[in-house]
Amino acid sequence: MAETENEVEVLVQRVVKDINNAFKRNPNIDEIGLIPCPEVRYNRSPIVLVENKLGVESWCVKYLLPYVHNKLLLYRQRKQWLDREALVDITCTLLLLNPDFTTAWNVRKELLQCGALSPERDLYLGKLALTKFPKSPETWIHRRWILQQVLRECSSPGPDRKDQGDGDRHDAAEKTRLSEHLHRVLYEEMKVCADAAGRYPSNYNAWSHRIWVLQNMAPGNLQVLHDELSSMRQWVSMHVSDHSGFHYRQFLLKALVRELSQSLSSSSSPQHYHPQPSSNPSHSPHKANPLHQANGEATAAAPCPSPHSPEDLASMPALPQLFHQEVELCTDLIKSFPGHETLWCHRRHVFYLWHHWRRDHHYGQGFGSESPHLNHTDAGLSSHPHTACPGGVGLDRVQRRNGQAQEGQDAMEVDGVGVPDPRDTKRLKRGPPGPCPPALPSEHSFIASVLDSCRSPEQGRFALAYRKWLDSVIGQ
Amino acid sequence: GTQVKDVVIKSDAPSALLLDKHADYIAAYGSKKDDYEYTLSEYLRMSGIYWGLTVMDLMGQLTRMNQQEISDFIKSCQHDCGGISASIGHDPHVLYTLSAVQILSLYDNVNVLDVDKMVEYVRGLQQEDGSFAGDKWGEIDTRFSFCAVATLALLGRLDAINMDKAVEFVLSCMNFDGGFGCRPGSESHAGQIYCCTGFLSIAGQLHQVNADLLGWWLCERQLPSGGLNGRPEKLPDVCYSWWVLASLKIIGRIHWIDKSKLRSFILACQDEETGGFADRPGDMVDPFHTLFGVAGLSLLGEGQIKDVNPVLCMPEDVLERLGLHPDLLS
Repeated sequence: MAETENEVEVLVQRVVKDINNAFKRNPNIDEIGLIPCPEVRYNRSPIVLVENKLGVESWCVKYLLPYVHNKLLLYRQRKQWLDREALVDITCTLLLLNPDFTTAWNVRKELLQCGALSPERDLYLGKLALTKFPKSPETWIHRRWILQQVLRECSSPGPDRKDQGDGDRHDAAEKTRLSEHLHRVLYEEMKVCADAAGRYPSNYNAWSHRIWVLQNMAPGNLQVLHDELSSMRQWVSMHVSDHSGFHYRQFLLKALVRELSQSLSSSSSPQHYHPQPSSNPSHSPHKANPLHQANGEATAAAPCPSPHSPEDLASMPALPQLFHQEVELCTDLIKSFPGHETLWCHRRHVFYLWHHWRRDHHYGQGFGSESPHLNHTDAGLSSHPHTACPGGVGLDRVQRRNGQAQEGQDAMEVDGVGVPDPRDTKRLKRGPPGPCPPALPSEHSFIASVLDSCRSPEQGRFALAYRKWLDSVIGQ
Repeated sequence: GTQVKDVVIKSDAPSALLLDKHADYIAAYGSKKDDYEYTLSEYLRMSGIYWGLTVMDLMGQLTRMNQQEISDFIKSCQHDCGGISASIGHDPHVLYTLSAVQILSLYDNVNVLDVDKMVEYVRGLQQEDGSFAGDKWGEIDTRFSFCAVATLALLGRLDAINMDKAVEFVLSCMNFDGGFGCRPGSESHAGQIYCCTGFLSIAGQLHQVNADLLGWWLCERQLPSGGLNGRPEKLPDVCYSWWVLASLKIIGRIHWIDKSKLRSFILACQDEETGGFADRPGDMVDPFHTLFGVAGLSLLGEGQIKDVNPVLCMPEDVLERLGLHPDLLS
């Protein structure tokens, strides 16, 4: 059935209006979808709103999409003017149908810049698009741009701040408000990522976004890092093939290692820790971040991470305990779900982190029969300073890594963070009695026990690969 | 026991190379597309054209495509800022800037564009830490580092950027497993690994790669079906036959893969009726997977296909003409 151009135009304008009215009627729409309905029905709206779900009948999409698509491009080429409201409606419709249409997101960026859109609106639109297109790269990319605008707004609030008189009290209240706002935004992002991760297995884009959010909105925030590690435990246990989910835990652990290690090192030399000691707001660099303080104190003007307070450190589990818990989790899952490569990869990562932390922070020789000599792979990895370094954080970590050898030695005997010598498992660290963290001999026994008892050929294969990896990468 | 995530190749899957069918499929692509499908993918049209033309050239069939029409199209996609968009009226981006330069290089016709402006555009995308944004809105990804240097290499203008800083950033994305992610701290991914090893090749810094470690990670991508995945516990996909294989070739470890099993997998991804390759046997074909299936076979030494360059995914004879010989480890 051929439609005239005019019929299509009338239909499309109606549909675009219906979609936008649906949002006005129900601001709680939380999911979009396509309703398979091949029969053209001109006298009925193809937009269906049921509870909080917005559906589009499939018959109209082949008219709808090309029409709004071309209309937007005519605008972009300055061949046809569209007012702001029309642009908002058209891009909304377009992006719900085709969220990888980069140019449409860019039009919305411009609308945001001139005040015709709020960041919240686009975060909401993106969230909806992700319910149907959980991987959509352009949706995640646009989200990061929005969040950067939000961060920028929060680190340099509006002009009324400059009023003197009530200045300080106003400042503190404002900082708190901003900090709470950012906290909400942060946790909303965690939720959006979790939903998308649940809709598509091993969703690289969702998880790398999650990492980006922590790196940029909460760098060095011990509380957030630790909360995330705890809350993800159950999720990964139910998604044992999700390599990205487990990588996220590796990222969290690595970040915790860095934060906790630096606190150890800086406890003896606090001056050394701060490359930018000034807390003068006028010295804030572009990336000032109100979520920095682990104890939740708003520091909108803080230019860089402050050392963690003794209270923060005491409330965190010690690193050896964290590692032990992670290895235990990994062991349980490996035994319960034999033959999952992801779990064995996770073990490699965790052991590697542990092994290098021990080597960098403890004087003397390694554990048991371990050789501290670097084999060529290790040498290759440590030959440049950026290896295995989560980036995106204000401080220059490079200097820290290279300087670790000396500082780590001083940091050895801090209360609660000592490490037992596996040669004598009865000698405990100070602080609460802890479990024995992983070491090469215990790893080899673990492999042997898996090989002895496993019935799955894949499990055996992965166990052998792990042994080979331990031998070649870790050494001996 | 658990079944490993993989496909099972049926006994009646294609096992012979059907080059003529693939050429017919690509030559007809676009002309038969109805408005809806074509519109959906217009946001990447420039890359789509690059995929189609490159695979045709690899099969010796480039002359079946309309050079004039394509040149005119590309010209109208260059913006005032010098960058190129995916299609007319779309916004410029480094991804499509590279695709445009690759296409025009096939035709030895880069000068239909304002090359100096394009170089300025790419230069302007480099950030203080050496990374590259994709466009003026600032998204950072190692893919864009690759696009930037590949574009400049094809234009002979690598001096336009701060190479040392660019290298520093890419190396900061190297992970403990020897692989690379999209940003520092991101998960290793075969696609990103291809971009980063390709980048390091162009930058003359391949010695910074841990070839044994990375090679091991890459060859662990091969599954019992012979196909390659992009990360642990993902299904095999013909496009990874490119990303993984090309990376292995760049770092000199291609012999670590079972070549004959991979070849069987790639051939099984062909569609005997329509021509073209799909991501895995039995699925719908598209030009993207068709290019990477054919390019993968070329890397495996298929005689009927022209040699493909593993860094730039272009015919070697084109790069020969340009005098480009990116490093490969041995």
